[in-house]
Amino acid sequence: MDYTPQNQKDKKQMFESIGIGNIDELFKIIPSHLKVKDLNISGGKTEQELLNYFLNIASKNKKLISFRGAGVYDHFIPSLVGEIIGRSEFWTAYTPYQAEASQGTLQAVFEYQSLICALTGLDVSNASLYDGATAAAEAVLLALRVGDKNKILISSGVHPEYIQTVKTYLENSKAKIEIISLSDNGRLDKNTVDSLTDYNTAAVVIQSPNYFGIVEYMDALSLAIKSKNSLFIVIINPLSLGVFKAPGEYNADIVVGEGQALGSSMSVGGATIGFMAVKKSLEWKMPGRIVGQTTDRDGKRGFVLTLQSREQHIRREKATSNICTNASLNALAACVFLSGWGNAGFSNLAETNISKARYAFAKIKSLDGFKAKFENETFFNEFVIETSKNIKKINKVLLKNNILGPLDLSNAGDNFKNCLLFCVTEQRTEAEINRLVELLMKI
Amino acid sequence: MEKLLNELSSECQSAYGVECDVAIDAQVPENLKRGIPLGLPSITENDLLRHFTNLSKKNYALSTVFYPLGSCTMKYNPLINERIAKNDAFNNVHPYQPIETMQGTLEVMYELEKDLCEITGMDTFSLQQAAGAHGEFAGLLVIAKYFKSIRQKRKKIIVPDSAHGTNPASAAFAGFEIVPLKSELDDGSVSHDKLKEVLTSEVAALMLTVPNTLGIFEKNIVKISKLIHDNGSLLYYDGANFNAVMGIVRPGDMGFDVMHINLHKTFSTPHGGGGPGSGPIGVKSFLEPFLPVPRVEKKKDKYVLNYKKLKSIGKLKAFFGNFPVILRAYAYVKALGGKGLKNVSKQAVLNANYMLAKFKDKINVPAGNRCMHEFVLSPKPLFKNDIRTIDIAKRLLDYGYYAPTIYFPLIVDEAIMIEPTETESKETLDKFVNVVNKIILEESCQELQKLKDAPINTPVRRLNEVEAARKPILKWK
Amino acid sequence: MNIPQDLLYTKTHEWVKIEENKIKVGITDFAQHEITDIVHVELPEIGTGVKKEQPAAVVESVKSAFDIYAPVSGKIVEINNNVLGSPELVNNSPYEEGYLFVIEFFNKKELDDLLKANDYKKLV
Repeated sequence: MDYTPQNQKDKKQMFESIGIGNIDELFKIIPSHLKVKDLNISGGKTEQELLNYFLNIASKNKKLISFRGAGVYDHFIPSLVGEIIGRSEFWTAYTPYQAEASQGTLQAVFEYQSLICALTGLDVSNASLYDGATAAAEAVLLALRVGDKNKILISSGVHPEYIQTVKTYLENSKAKIEIISLSDNGRLDKNTVDSLTDYNTAAVVIQSPNYFGIVEYMDALSLAIKSKNSLFIVIINPLSLGVFKAPGEYNADIVVGEGQALGSSMSVGGATIGFMAVKKSLEWKMPGRIVGQTTDRDGKRGFVLTLQSREQHIRREKATSNICTNASLNALAACVFLSGWGNAGFSNLAETNISKARYAFAKIKSLDGFKAKFENETFFNEFVIETSKNIKKINKVLLKNNILGPLDLSNAGDNFKNCLLFCVTEQRTEAEINRLVELLMKI
Repeated sequence: MEKLLNELSSECQSAYGVECDVAIDAQVPENLKRGIPLGLPSITENDLLRHFTNLSKKNYALSTVFYPLGSCTMKYNPLINERIAKNDAFNNVHPYQPIETMQGTLEVMYELEKDLCEITGMDTFSLQQAAGAHGEFAGLLVIAKYFKSIRQKRKKIIVPDSAHGTNPASAAFAGFEIVPLKSELDDGSVSHDKLKEVLTSEVAALMLTVPNTLGIFEKNIVKISKLIHDNGSLLYYDGANFNAVMGIVRPGDMGFDVMHINLHKTFSTPHGGGGPGSGPIGVKSFLEPFLPVPRVEKKKDKYVLNYKKLKSIGKLKAFFGNFPVILRAYAYVKALGGKGLKNVSKQAVLNANYMLAKFKDKINVPAGNRCMHEFVLSPKPLFKNDIRTIDIAKRLLDYGYYAPTIYFPLIVDEAIMIEPTETESKETLDKFVNVVNKIILEESCQELQKLKDAPINTPVRRLNEVEAARKPILKWK
Repeated sequence: MNIPQDLLYTKTHEWVKIEENKIKVGITDFAQHEITDIVHVELPEIGTGVKKEQPAAVVESVKSAFDIYAPVSGKIVEINNNVLGSPELVNNSPYEEGYLFVIEFFNKKELDDLLKANDYKKLV
């Protein structure tokens, strides 16, 4: 394939206009000893060949029934999402620099921001960040910009890859990161948080439901954090907000999370979307693009990129972040996703996740050799089971039956030896859950 | 005017719903329960389809108009790539599923890394970064970690004033001090002498965009590279403009130690209205140990993920990278092959020079008669009556074109930066040149009001950005 | 252009009004005009130490941001909260309602480096 349209006649005319005899004259400025002869790259495939080539590669992936989550989830994606993000007017547009010619993208992002604010109960959302992990890192950097405090506390219930990402982002800064351990019941103890938070603590980062599926007691934790004037950064699963308390209700300052559950496919955990919402007082400190409503010359409503003097193309090294390209198309997917449920439908979606997870939990923990790790805690769609069986064998047997089994938590710390993290979303049917239980029973 | 979702909301049957085939059992303790309303709209699927389809029509997009946005490389996004990327066998893969069940995905990543090495002359690549700026950040962290490993304190990064804003922002993000470098006025190049003046033992690296943002190849590159390396510093290549030199010259051969590339520019993946993108970084082998984890490796016939890299800078994001973007880029490489990729840059440079030739006798071109893949016009001397570049840009929208990049690079007053890319026909270029000339040379003198009133053919007219920033309305009420 | 005679000025377009051991600081009419419509102002916190000719505040338009420099070294003792909510005050009333902050200075001698109105006029 070749995507260049000029024929020989065009080229000849173009050479004449420029005043050259051949294309190579245009590259004279490049030292000849540096020039490449040929690139040793196979290709030149036709469209038909490409299709088959990639079907063959795709066939090396295996389709599995997933009981695994840990940050990326198999959720239902309504047909409308694919239809809309598949419209070339959206996917072939650039960042909406010329507002008058980009009202489609701009209004959709404005609606996305509105929906994120509604869901989280916070005042201001940006237009998106790369993913949940980088959103968490940007939240921490935001908190460090607020005052001159330099301690950051992070719950060990935060996704381990998020903690790693935050550490990478802060590698060369003056900030110090301390990890808060979970209690034996799998969640944070407010007294522990209270005693670790001091007046030098810029922010405390807590994920709920945490990495082990458990919903944290955010009210109490918030009080402890606020008593030291620290910022409360919350990492949230957006779908869980259909049932669980909104961060705005417990006075969170910055809310971030992974928005993959809102209409983006898993695709090995990338291209997903990070969302961020903050209190009004922090809006000028936010990273990333923000869309605002305004009026045109005739007084008609319209939308523009706004608060731009925070950004790298204006502020350069003093910008709030270096982010430029974000995850706009995923924000559109999230917008289409969130707009079609209604309050009751969205709650029902969350309740379905809880119900199916509880159904599976009850069955699995009663099997011989399996027991609940945290018996009396509340979870959303993930839970931890402790087992006396061989974990490798469990997942091997399940895989043979095309099931992606639970995540082995043996790397998550001493407290999680012989533990499994199950995930059950609305996508899993009763029959699939029963089949899982049946297979586990036989091991 | 298209209504907002909350204005469309009514007591209707919402578009989506799920059935729960086990008994609903979702009571949660009172202190964990949501107390405030969700505030989500309730809209039928029919109405939502209309809403979003109508919104899409308010966009100028590459699929509807010529999009000569300088520095953004808005080239045709091949449809076959979209078709390949829609395959559920790629999309339904969980990042933590056993590697033997995701060999297809890993193959794509491994093979693209290999091809990028050949294309750029670097020794190894990492695909984890989600965008160009993310790549810059990762590259600079690699540089920081490298100097730490050899116990050298180098806290400064030199950034020419012609660079994209992301360069200094990324360097600051990575903990460096920025040393700005004034570029030469005539062609945006780096002066050997000026560079020498700021090149101290504290300098970790020089970040260069080649060709630079005036669209000119860095003629002193060999000397610069020697100067930098003699100083014990490293050379960083910003690949935002790589579309100009693919298959012609390789950053690795020019002496660059670290680079990033934008798959959503040079490698034809769509921009999605602002993302997702992908910003792979390439390094010379001595920097390989510092790349983000995991690394995709091949052991015999099997692709594996290696997390055990002790010197690694760590993770730049969760998981492995923006895979659907990586997949499209790999499909592009396989469509074109080595020969086709080389032809891309040749045609891109031809197209840009052709347009430049048609402009240069009429409109001031600060960087001369030749360019690489893009060029910058400075129409300021022609402006009368308070006309500014923004008026030209808005008027172009009325003619059915997306506007070029304006007011960038900052070193050119009232700049108009045009990048045609290789996928546009001569006819498209001719028409566009005629329109720009007409606006600048005729309308701006004789029909001033048309420019000041522009745009009139767009869904909204000129928008009040001052009010938007002074009294921000950032969500619906 | 309005350059009040009774004020002192800096080369970076701040004006200074001396009030005993303090100075009131804002940006000049010339500066506000060059910046165009001001949409946001960032001010230091009360109590912050500032150094002569170092950035102390930021004034932003839609497409640019400008550092505002402390004319002398000292401590911020007052800020104009009104310009935070209504940044247009800096455009509309640069010398009165649109002032930015008050510094309690350490060294009176530093005031000698400031420009008189006529000298500033020559500069712009």
